[in-house]
Amino acid sequence: MATTELHAPGATSKSRPVKNGKPLTAGRVALYVTLTVVSLLMVVPFVWMVLTSLKTPVEIASQDAGLLPEHWEFGNYVDALKAAPFATYARNSFIIAFSHTLINVVVASMAGYSLARIKFRGSEVIFYLFIAALMIPTYTKVLPEFLIVRFMPLAGGNDVFGQGGSGWLDSWWALIVPGAVTPFAVFLFRQFYLDLPVELEEAARLDGLGEFRIYARIMTPQVKPAITTVALLTFESSWNNFLWPLLVTRTDSLRVIQVGLSVFKTENGPQWHFLMAGTTLATLPMVILFLIGQRYFVQGFATAGLK
Amino acid sequence: MGATSVLKARPAPPSAPAGRTVTKKRSGRAPTGPGRRRQRAGMLMVAPALLHASLWIGLPVVASVVLAFTKYDVLTAPQFVGLDNFRDMLDDAVFRKSIVNTVIYTFFTVPFGMALGLLVALALHTGLKARGIFRTAVFIPQVTATVAIALVWLWIYNPGNGLLNTLLSFLGIDGPAWLSSTSWAMPSVILVGIWQGIGMKMLIYLAALQSLPKELYEAASVDGASKVRQFFSITLPLLKPATFFVLITSMISAFQSFDQIYILTDGGPGNSTTMMTFEIYKSAFREFRVGYASAQSLVLFVLLMGFTLVNRRIMGGTRGNN
Repeated sequence: MATTELHAPGATSKSRPVKNGKPLTAGRVALYVTLTVVSLLMVVPFVWMVLTSLKTPVEIASQDAGLLPEHWEFGNYVDALKAAPFATYARNSFIIAFSHTLINVVVASMAGYSLARIKFRGSEVIFYLFIAALMIPTYTKVLPEFLIVRFMPLAGGNDVFGQGGSGWLDSWWALIVPGAVTPFAVFLFRQFYLDLPVELEEAARLDGLGEFRIYARIMTPQVKPAITTVALLTFESSWNNFLWPLLVTRTDSLRVIQVGLSVFKTENGPQWHFLMAGTTLATLPMVILFLIGQRYFVQGFATAGLK
Repeated sequence: MGATSVLKARPAPPSAPAGRTVTKKRSGRAPTGPGRRRQRAGMLMVAPALLHASLWIGLPVVASVVLAFTKYDVLTAPQFVGLDNFRDMLDDAVFRKSIVNTVIYTFFTVPFGMALGLLVALALHTGLKARGIFRTAVFIPQVTATVAIALVWLWIYNPGNGLLNTLLSFLGIDGPAWLSSTSWAMPSVILVGIWQGIGMKMLIYLAALQSLPKELYEAASVDGASKVRQFFSITLPLLKPATFFVLITSMISAFQSFDQIYILTDGGPGNSTTMMTFEIYKSAFREFRVGYASAQSLVLFVLLMGFTLVNRRIMGGTRGNN
């Protein structure tokens, strides 16, 4: 459920057979070895990415160079930023991810609150609609979404009927608006608001607070874990998104980092040192974000199942 | 969350709902003065999200069903063509190939990923030191962009001096051109899929393992059951709901793989790695056959809904909406 508690690293769990402090048996050594090998297999591609980003093109092309760089070319990063506007791409990704996060937290928490705590005619139907929306695959939505963006009335030279121009294509609107609110966030917020005691809002109501204030001032501060989880997951999926920005942008200055990398690969051929420097820049923020908010990521993913 | 499709209502691993009381009936009084105001507030608060979902999910779903029966190139108005698109699909060898490829990809990435995920989860569940580090290492590929990951693997698979062939050359093996060989491209793509997916599967299994009742194991130990016996007689059966959940969500997600194909192989060589999603993309955005692409996406949708319904059927009833 939304509140599935996974144990944070280092936290002690009562349900786990306690073995800390036991002597090392052959079985445990085997366990450590296996886990170390698996972990290495998971990490090696990232290490290889970073190492490549620090090599000279000559060294990369050479058949008999070692795995480690001979000279650590930190200048590759500076040169990569000159070879392609990776800084602009990253900035664009950040603006979009940040906007998505902000909008999703505000809009979805309001909706989740309403669906959890206020009964009105149709509220149950609306809840089921959100559940249904959760199940719609990306590839069912993406073509019509593209068409809606393309034929957005009175935008990008379009007339009232959406004809004549290019609508929202190649604009911040297309990058931000369609993906801004996710049914998953509504669902997750609802779960959290459901658990709050009714006394809390009743006391506030007796104090004469309006409904919106009860939501904003009394109830929402109680669901901070939900806010963090939704914020982190939204930011992550927005930063990592590829298909949608690929479809709706043409201009270089509007490209996001993932699309920018893909275009760089196609247009400049395999300049691996630059490409891996760019990939490192695209990966690093998410790794850091994950390390900081690991608990919330784990909780959110356990709820979501898969991203 | 991009692919919201997979976010199922509530197929939680057994870890979930225990001990949560839900307070119902906190509202819904007669619509008198304050009650009315409250209801209006409720509607206003849900309105923005509802409007957004109607425009960007509801309308697209309807539109994609309608468009599937049309011929449409975006420039001229759509033309109703009945079942033509579906008939064309039957004759479309590449699309058929893409369905086969999607199934093969799923058939290999999902079970292998699940087995590895379960193994790692079991290892982490033994309570050894530094499991936080191991868990983080296994999970990192899940939070990084598939595009970035695919680019790194593209370089690893590089036939000249990529990491894989470099390592193989130490062993005296002359590695193939992984991604441009019709026989090696699919296995290479599958390997990346398994590699990236282990983390999520491990995570769900770990959550499920942590919720298993300890008493059963104590009783089994008293009865002298070995660890292996305990695993097959207690752990595996109790993990069934989690296993099913992982299976369905992983299948849904594997069926929608796109980014790695786009970067690694562009569907090639000779369509040997093209997937349904990639064909939908090609039809719509390279050939501008939007009606046909909609019909293709409808086929994908029906398949995915099938998985979801099977999931519901088997998991159903036990989880409410709360």
